[in-house]
Amino acid sequence: MASTALLRRLLTLPPLLRRSVYSSAATHNGASQPDTYDVVCIGGGPVGLSFVSALRSHPSTSALRVALIDSQDLSTARTTKDTETYSNRCSSLTPASLRFLKQIGAWEHAKRERAQPYHAMDVWDGVSGSKIHFDSVDQQQTGLLDAVAEMIPGSRSQASRRKYEVEDVGVATMCENANTTSALLQRLHELDEERSKDRLIFDMLEKTRVESIDLGPESKGEESLDLSQWPIVTTSHGRIAARLLVGADGANSPVRQFADIPSPGWDYNQHGVVATLDLDQQITAQNLRTAYQRFLPTGPVALLPLPGNKASLVWSTTPQHAAKLKTLSRPDFTAAVNAAFRLMPFDISYMLSPNSTTSPTDELTWRESATPAASTGVPRNFPRITSVQEGSIASFPLRMRHADTYTGHRIALIGDAAHTIHPLAGQGLNLGLADAESLAQRIAYGVDHGMDVGSCWTLDGYNSDRWAKNNAVIGVVDKLSKIYGFGSGPVVWGRSAGVEVLERLGTLKGWMMGAAAGVK
Amino acid sequence: MRKRTRPAVMNGQISQRTFQRLLALPPPLRLRTFSILNRPPPNYAGHVPLTLVERGALALGSAFGSLRNPHRHDLIASLGEATAKPYFISRLRKAMLANPTGRRILRDKPRITSQTMSLEWLRQLPDNTVGRAYAAWLDREGVTPDTRDQVRYIDDPEEAYVMQRYRETHDFTHAITGLPVIIEGELAVKAFEFANTLLPMTALSLVAVVRLKAAERKRFFETYLPWAVSNGLKAEEVVNVYWEEELETDVEVLRARLGIEVPPDLREIRKVLRDKNKADMAARDAKNRLGAGMGV
Repeated sequence: MASTALLRRLLTLPPLLRRSVYSSAATHNGASQPDTYDVVCIGGGPVGLSFVSALRSHPSTSALRVALIDSQDLSTARTTKDTETYSNRCSSLTPASLRFLKQIGAWEHAKRERAQPYHAMDVWDGVSGSKIHFDSVDQQQTGLLDAVAEMIPGSRSQASRRKYEVEDVGVATMCENANTTSALLQRLHELDEERSKDRLIFDMLEKTRVESIDLGPESKGEESLDLSQWPIVTTSHGRIAARLLVGADGANSPVRQFADIPSPGWDYNQHGVVATLDLDQQITAQNLRTAYQRFLPTGPVALLPLPGNKASLVWSTTPQHAAKLKTLSRPDFTAAVNAAFRLMPFDISYMLSPNSTTSPTDELTWRESATPAASTGVPRNFPRITSVQEGSIASFPLRMRHADTYTGHRIALIGDAAHTIHPLAGQGLNLGLADAESLAQRIAYGVDHGMDVGSCWTLDGYNSDRWAKNNAVIGVVDKLSKIYGFGSGPVVWGRSAGVEVLERLGTLKGWMMGAAAGVK
Repeated sequence: MRKRTRPAVMNGQISQRTFQRLLALPPPLRLRTFSILNRPPPNYAGHVPLTLVERGALALGSAFGSLRNPHRHDLIASLGEATAKPYFISRLRKAMLANPTGRRILRDKPRITSQTMSLEWLRQLPDNTVGRAYAAWLDREGVTPDTRDQVRYIDDPEEAYVMQRYRETHDFTHAITGLPVIIEGELAVKAFEFANTLLPMTALSLVAVVRLKAAERKRFFETYLPWAVSNGLKAEEVVNVYWEEELETDVEVLRARLGIEVPPDLREIRKVLRDKNKADMAARDAKNRLGAGMGV
């Protein structure tokens, strides 16, 4: 009788106090009761941090009790001050991702001088030389048809054109992952300081290993909680109960395994070799940089610009070639990368095969003199790579996975935990950031409408928003990698003819660039 | 300054110009890459760039011309060059580049002429060496290394060298198989080379089998064609042999390494048959004269 009266009085309190009383009442019942949080995010990578920042910056969700768990020491995720060295883990951020980062207030903390926007992209076929050139500067032209369309009263063509003109970021921006992560961490600290006069309700549990995730115990008495439907995370520092458990914990996600969500897919039998390179090229006054990608039958090789005369290499190739590349000396590696863009595919394969007797540097000098530039399709202003940064050569296996669903009861997956994609389109991190934005918006909607943030009322909207879009992008990227895996035959002819046609259809190219930029 | 492409949406001619630009397919797929009034400059000394129509006409003319007169080696050479592109000479070049010795040959680009191949030195080599066999064969057939035409109609300089190398080492193939320069021997070598190098000219020249006599044709189909096909397929690529370094190798050792068996000696067979025919004819003549003398 007394407890129900107390409960009714508790329910009339404002949410903030009610929750604090509730949770303090919960912890009062004994140390065996786990600490209860509204949202627990496992994973402190860029996607997890951006999700938590979005929750904390949005007024509806800023009062939720949030925890972030990561096994690494997050305070060391800072970039070096050295302008001569760049990390080899870089990502290409699309205009939509940048807009999201600006919206949550994190982009202003990023070191802008270490991020490089690029305005053009040259993509060409390694076997036939057919090329396609994307240029964000050209896309902003107006023609007669556009001028006429604007003059029609009530037309929304101007509004739709503005979609692509997002503050001169061009095609995308190359940014080191450490730069993005440290910007997000600084934003979280800033938000903590703003709200320090309230009770601190954000807990960053770094250097905390997740030992297991289970469903909680049933209630033992009247005042204990029924956590049998709640995920309880057992960490090295204690037990945490989550109203909503968000998995941003990478490709081998423990949260996804706990939720028994299958994630079908396949391995690409390719390894992605990354490195930071020094280039020899003239930088224009407006610093208009270009990204280059060549599709070889063994996999695409991409050169993405970094500030100054530097670039990031992402070369997807067979595991044998990747192993050989990692054993090469620095001048030989530089020659191999130059060869990857300038020589014919069989010359590159010979250079990296185990029975090649001469060094890559000699091979490159000779074969380049015997290879006419017109037949390989290399762009005229393609820079020459002069050296590779010490210690920046690394590789990782490539695979494709897509979780069957992103949500479960009190479970949500974002980022690489939900999907893994081939790096040829630079979409991996961008899809993850879009997931984080969508989930944060759905949680805000749920809080505004009085829903339990872990229930399917809130989470189904996230699944229906993101799953189909991610599936389309992953599917297209997978088919592209398969089409460009052919070294000869009618598929080569077909894809070259298609590329040549697409190169000449400006409107279709503009639509493709808009779709890749992720604008809604 | 980067050329700005004007958008297609400018005036009423958009559809026509778009259509024309769509028809401008990539170079390997176009029917004509240049006008005969405006030929591009040569890529190497002696190079003559040809349009597709000109190449087709050259192929047809050379084919029929060399069929009528098989001693026109220049027509056989131009037939080879006209039919080697787009795929076959590139395949042969890739086969050379895939092999370490072939790569060395393409790097050094050695040429076989009477200056680089000193016949006096070759003749004094031991009897069972490749060099001696080559010199002996040249002497027996009465030819010199200078009878090979220059490659003119292949555009890429490296592919042109591959063709030139194939032509200059054709005599070495004769030497290690022992086949003579008569039509029958040439056809056997050409069949072997088709199975080994896949150049279309070698297959097309087998049409000259119609010029053989019935007995020769029978011999060709029964003995030499099966030998050529089976050996050409199982042997290593003969174009990858660095002949300048193999001159002092034992011929049997080289044949074993390449996987080539020796065919029956054609000149011997023909000589035996000729002698037998002569003996038969003499016997018949004698019998006729005898019969006439006896009044039968």
